[in-house]
Amino acid sequence: MSRKVKDQLCNMLIWLSAAFSVGILVLVVGFIFSKGWSKISLDFLFNDYESKTQYVTLESDQAYQAPASLSESALFSENLGVALELKEDHYEIVWMDKESPLKEATNNADEKVKISKGDCVQQIKVSGKSLKLDKKTDQEEIVKALNENNTLVMKVMSVGGGIFPMIVSTLLLVLVALLFSAPIGILAAIYLVEYAKPGKLVNVIRFATEILAGIPSVVYGLFGMLMFVNTLNLGMSILAGGLTLTILLLPTMMRTTEEALKVVPMSYREASYGLGANKIQTLSKVVLPSAIPGILVGVILSIGRIIGESAALLFTIGTFAKLPVNPESGNFSLLETGTSLTVRAYIEVKESGNVEMAAAIGIIILIVVFTLNLFSRLIAKKFSKANN
Amino acid sequence: MKPKFSVSDLNLFYGNFQALHQINIEIPSNQVTALIGPSGCGKSTFLRTLNRMNDLVDTAKITGNIQLDGENIYSDIDVMKLRTRVGMVFQKPNPFPMSIYDNIAYGPRCQGVKDKQRLNQIVEDSLRGAALWDEVKDRLNKSAMGLSGGQQQRLCIARAIAMEPEVILMDEPTSALDPIATKKVEELMEQLKKKYTIVIVTHSMQQAARISDKTAFFLMGELIEFDDTNKVFTNPQDKRTEDYITGRFG
Ligand SMILES: Nc1ncnc2c1ncn2[C@@H]1O[C@H](COP(=O)(O)OP(=O)(O)O)[C@@H](O)[C@H]1O
Ligand SMILES: [Mg+2]
Repeated sequence: MSRKVKDQLCNMLIWLSAAFSVGILVLVVGFIFSKGWSKISLDFLFNDYESKTQYVTLESDQAYQAPASLSESALFSENLGVALELKEDHYEIVWMDKESPLKEATNNADEKVKISKGDCVQQIKVSGKSLKLDKKTDQEEIVKALNENNTLVMKVMSVGGGIFPMIVSTLLLVLVALLFSAPIGILAAIYLVEYAKPGKLVNVIRFATEILAGIPSVVYGLFGMLMFVNTLNLGMSILAGGLTLTILLLPTMMRTTEEALKVVPMSYREASYGLGANKIQTLSKVVLPSAIPGILVGVILSIGRIIGESAALLFTIGTFAKLPVNPESGNFSLLETGTSLTVRAYIEVKESGNVEMAAAIGIIILIVVFTLNLFSRLIAKKFSKANN
Repeated sequence: MKPKFSVSDLNLFYGNFQALHQINIEIPSNQVTALIGPSGCGKSTFLRTLNRMNDLVDTAKITGNIQLDGENIYSDIDVMKLRTRVGMVFQKPNPFPMSIYDNIAYGPRCQGVKDKQRLNQIVEDSLRGAALWDEVKDRLNKSAMGLSGGQQQRLCIARAIAMEPEVILMDEPTSALDPIATKKVEELMEQLKKKYTIVIVTHSMQQAARISDKTAFFLMGELIEFDDTNKVFTNPQDKRTEDYITGRFG
């Protein structure tokens, strides 16, 4: 074979491989976006996962104006400042006045209920009468019932299908995991770089962290389940998940901090010691401030890792798509079970074959991780500029 | 006159490698002492024993005795206190990545000076002392990294002065500077020696001849000759010193 042909073959192979990998990437992203994009909306982000039906009490004290742009088929109540529209066989809230009594609605237990656009009104009880709302109900009667009295009770179904509980749980996980892993990892790295005498012990610690970094996360998940969920009796909870993630993140946190500390020029330390500063002063006033951008990059990448992690969480936080809220007190609690975005994506496909939902979650994760990476690059770039 | 430093039987080892052999020297007060010798002969190593900067090197071991005004610096004086009395300026200008003001105030702050007015005074006095005040007085809060190399080195000198030290050690302070900046720093040393004892490492014999009162010649970790500068340069006692200063080696 002539040399030219060989060269061309090689070039072709290189090109093909490059094109193939780019193609695959485009394919994956394209697939996820095409499957899930239609679901993405503010409602998707902020709605509860389960739909919920409640009776709410409304008190009206003024009359409201209909908005200029209201569709012909919508029913408007000047008593409540709300517009309903028949969708298939249920009435949906399509518009609400900013001061509508629906904003102040309370349920049987006298708790405030958040009613928003898109929720369904199923029944109205007013002046001792009850009116079911569906496509057979006379529309004039509905308007009459809505405007009949200043006090009325409504049966409202808030639509679910959103990922709000998972977003909250994931954010809490990030918080808990960073709260533990950042200080421990950073202090451990400071020990290794600034305190430990180079020798056996340091080598053993480095080796151990390297091994830890290589362990598949499902193993951490198993350990977390045995250790935090069972032995420490935390149950499947945000805390158990966060602690598992802490262990998972520690090696990375240590490594990035170590790197960040090592690139702080020795001359800064010499200058500081040369001025009679002690070790803590040198560390806190000179070394750490110079290392902070590098440490921050590690933290940001860790956030990305937490958001993308699933195997370590499957057995430790649980799979229920609910807010980590105590059902009795109604308060947020780290000891409550919940689920993260990624775990939920997995469960959606596995249990109900809901690929669309999983893809939509995938889009959200993709966007967040992409933004985080961009952010860390920006910081890293600034950092390398500042140090030269 | 009583010496500032008196060093006796000083040996220094980096692991198994002996970098200094049996050094005996008395460094006089309020004079400029130059350390010369070929690269790698142990000038920096010796200089750094005087404020115990070698403590930062894990492998470094020291035997012998170094006294500052009669006190043993390895046993009688706290190392942090020692470094406030014996300041240091390094080969490469190494300002902190902070404002000019914070660079100067760093040392005093580490010693617990908090009073704003006192710090302002220290900053101004130190910058004046390092002949830098007029150039930077309008941008004290700007980063020190924006200064030129020569200005940075004078800032480092000002930073050392801010501690009101008795001795200033300088390790080839002009080797990273251009001739004009070098001249400025040399003029500054002329001023400084009225107030401070200066020990300076230099690889430039002209510089040693220009600025120093005493000269010590090191070779392979040994102190070969130590005398008045003009004596060392005009009438060296040791053959090896003569070879070095006449440029026959090194
Ligand atoms: N931290 C260190 N560890 C091991 N050897 C060193 C260290 N610093 C300097 N040395 C060695 O000690 C000798 C003297 O070095 P140095 O004092 O820097 O010489 P000079 O300043 O005269 O050029 C050299 O051989 C050098 O390689
Ligand atoms: Mg040197």
